Amino acid sequence: MNRFPGIKYGLIGGVCLVILSIIGMVEAFNQREIVSEVISMGQALLLTAAAFIAYLPAARAGGGTRGLAASVSSGLIMMAMLALLVLLSTVVNLRQVFINASPGLFQILKFQQEDLWVGIGLLLLAGGLTGLTAGLLVMTPDLLRRVVIAALTTVVMVGTLQDTISPIFAEWGPLADINDLLYEGNGLSIPGALGLFIAVAAAAAAWILKGQAIKGRVQSLPPVSRRRLNMALVLLGGFVLLVLPHILGLFLSEVLTIIGLYIMLGLGLNIIIGFSGMLDLGHVAYFAIGSYTIAILTSPELGFFNWNFWQALPVAIAAGAVTGVLICTPVLKMRGDYLAIATLGFGEIIRLFVLSDFLRPWLGGAQGIGKIPKVELFGFEFGTPQQVYYLILAGCLLIGFIAWRLRDSRLGRSWMAVREDEDVAQAMGINLVSTKLKAFAVGAGFSALSGAIFATKLGSVYPHSFNIMISINILCVIIVGGIGSIPGVVVGAAALVGLPELLREFAEYRLLVYGAVLVAMMLLKPEGLWPEVTHKRELHESENDSGETTAAEPARNKA
Amino acid sequence: MAVITTQQLTKQFGGLVAIDKLDLDVKEQSIHSVIGPNGAGKTTVFNCITGFYRPEGGDILLDERSLVGLLPDQIVRRGIARTYQNIRLFQNLTALENILVGLHGHLKAGFFGIVLRSPATRREEKESAEEASRLLKFVNLGGKGDMIAKNLPYGDQRRLEIARALATRPKVLCLDEPAAGMNPKESQDLMDFIRHLRDALGITILLIEHQMRVVMGISEIVTVLDYGKKIAEGTPAEVQRNPQVIEAYLGRGSAAQQPHAA
Repeated sequence: MNRFPGIKYGLIGGVCLVILSIIGMVEAFNQREIVSEVISMGQALLLTAAAFIAYLPAARAGGGTRGLAASVSSGLIMMAMLALLVLLSTVVNLRQVFINASPGLFQILKFQQEDLWVGIGLLLLAGGLTGLTAGLLVMTPDLLRRVVIAALTTVVMVGTLQDTISPIFAEWGPLADINDLLYEGNGLSIPGALGLFIAVAAAAAAWILKGQAIKGRVQSLPPVSRRRLNMALVLLGGFVLLVLPHILGLFLSEVLTIIGLYIMLGLGLNIIIGFSGMLDLGHVAYFAIGSYTIAILTSPELGFFNWNFWQALPVAIAAGAVTGVLICTPVLKMRGDYLAIATLGFGEIIRLFVLSDFLRPWLGGAQGIGKIPKVELFGFEFGTPQQVYYLILAGCLLIGFIAWRLRDSRLGRSWMAVREDEDVAQAMGINLVSTKLKAFAVGAGFSALSGAIFATKLGSVYPHSFNIMISINILCVIIVGGIGSIPGVVVGAAALVGLPELLREFAEYRLLVYGAVLVAMMLLKPEGLWPEVTHKRELHESENDSGETTAAEPARNKA
Repeated sequence: MAVITTQQLTKQFGGLVAIDKLDLDVKEQSIHSVIGPNGAGKTTVFNCITGFYRPEGGDILLDERSLVGLLPDQIVRRGIARTYQNIRLFQNLTALENILVGLHGHLKAGFFGIVLRSPATRREEKESAEEASRLLKFVNLGGKGDMIAKNLPYGDQRRLEIARALATRPKVLCLDEPAAGMNPKESQDLMDFIRHLRDALGITILLIEHQMRVVMGISEIVTVLDYGKKIAEGTPAEVQRNPQVIEAYLGRGSAAQQPHAA
């Protein structure tokens, strides 16, 4: 079978596509159209997956007629397997087993054709064409390929996120015209899609061709003007961050606040896992402690303290940090998997603790604690998502700043040393106990701050908000973003928390997509989307960073 | 005067006695070697002195204060630093960062000092960066501070590991087979370097080494271990003539090392 890689990949891909179809993903995705009345997201999902898989044997064969034959044959086999599924559906009622194998699905697979054989013919044709495109893409020059992929990705994204983009554009004078041009009905208009494709392709080509030269010119600027340029960029970035909620509107601001909470949690976990290398799977515990501390101290429903947010906040952060220390202390000697399992347990214990009947008078049990007052500052109330956004933005900036300062310090270095080699770190005079406790205290403190803001944002806290999925989500955020990387956390949170919020109707498939994304990341880009430099070194054994070409010379003599 | 003294030091692993009632006196500013056939307990002695193992019996004294029961990080702060038989650098950190980690025990910056970048912290960071590059220069790695440790050539890694140990400002430097894997030219350089180290910094060197050329070339005192027991001690010349030592090496068919000793 190895002589015909197209067949192998075709069979594997076919199985994937059949699974995507019968679990209902294709049909669910079909609710959104990318180009109005031409291509829907469900079809795009199938075709993109098919193109990606057909690309692999062609790339392996190194292009040429053999590569082309491999990709076309794999494309045909994949679609033939879908065609078999369609045929099977006419004989057997698949729905008895696969509840999502609905007539609608087969309608999509037949490209909405009434006649079975015309539909199957179209399906096979699409497979052949997809394979052909993928095969040709292997052979096209690097530049063209990157441009085409960038443009296609943008068109698919812009088409998919119509619900999000269109309302924003519609409100802003000149952008409204673009909006009318771009969208039509339930998706992009044909001229809109073509225009967008060309515009993005041109921009991508320009960047690839000229980007290095521009970067080089910026590098060669005198330090004063370079600093000015940096200042200008920072100011511009700051301005955009400040006006963002008003441009984006209520719903998207809400999404931004959720991303922000995850950024804070991610930065906290990043200190523990990324900097110090301790696998903590119970991170939700500190989030919960932060939330509950605020709730207990401020909620008039319980009426114990009735403090305001600013009085309670330091206590909440301190409580988080102390919990971090308490959880860390018994597991100090554990490493790797054992630590992960122990912390996983602690995360659950906190939630069960809150649920207990014994503590109900103080913690509210399953009903939670309500009526948590909004945050007030100089008479300004942080009530709506747009207002809470600023609170969260401030929190993210503060935590990001602290994490950044800590990373390049004595403390950050001791964390890195412990991560790299615990025994040697100790032999260098690093006290393992206090170093690890500090990592847990700081990481937990960050997450408690996130929890504190979460509590006032929601106005109430319930035990079920603090389940294990939060811990897993945070872990995914930092893995996808790049373990140990501060900007990586932001990118990871936007990708893994932001996108699913925008694609709510596919929420059922969220975990499936998470799993697929994680597997793909581990295979294709294990260092994450925005990698941290030492982790990159770890994963790429003998390669050198491009900036160190001169330094790389002596390394070749390595014994 | 003795810097490190072990009195009746005993270490057991289950039924195996790795070190058996060892008495050792390491004189200040000397170059003192510990040799012996494989499995004689040399590295175990190091691990006891530096606190990685807790001895079952006896005592270890540094300047007449006991080290037994202290943690490795406490011992290194008392002034004993070490290198490892198989180089154990922080592979993915740069050469400079490796040394900065070694300076850790001498820095004081706390959480708030770091976050607010207080003047004291800034001064400390600047000074430690200077000291680190001084140390790099001292071990002939000047200008290689930004290289990733694992990308350095083998000999450089050995020297970087020594520089990292020196960063802890030790009184005693324990070198575990520093010449392993080196050719005659490289070991000669290393010998000169170790002597220079002792003379320039006035520290004591405790050395484990297999290459007899190195041991006999630079040691002032040699202690020979066999099965965890001290079987001989003296100047290189005395030890070489000792019949028990010759038996320990030759008797086990380790004759391959004899030509070096000659």
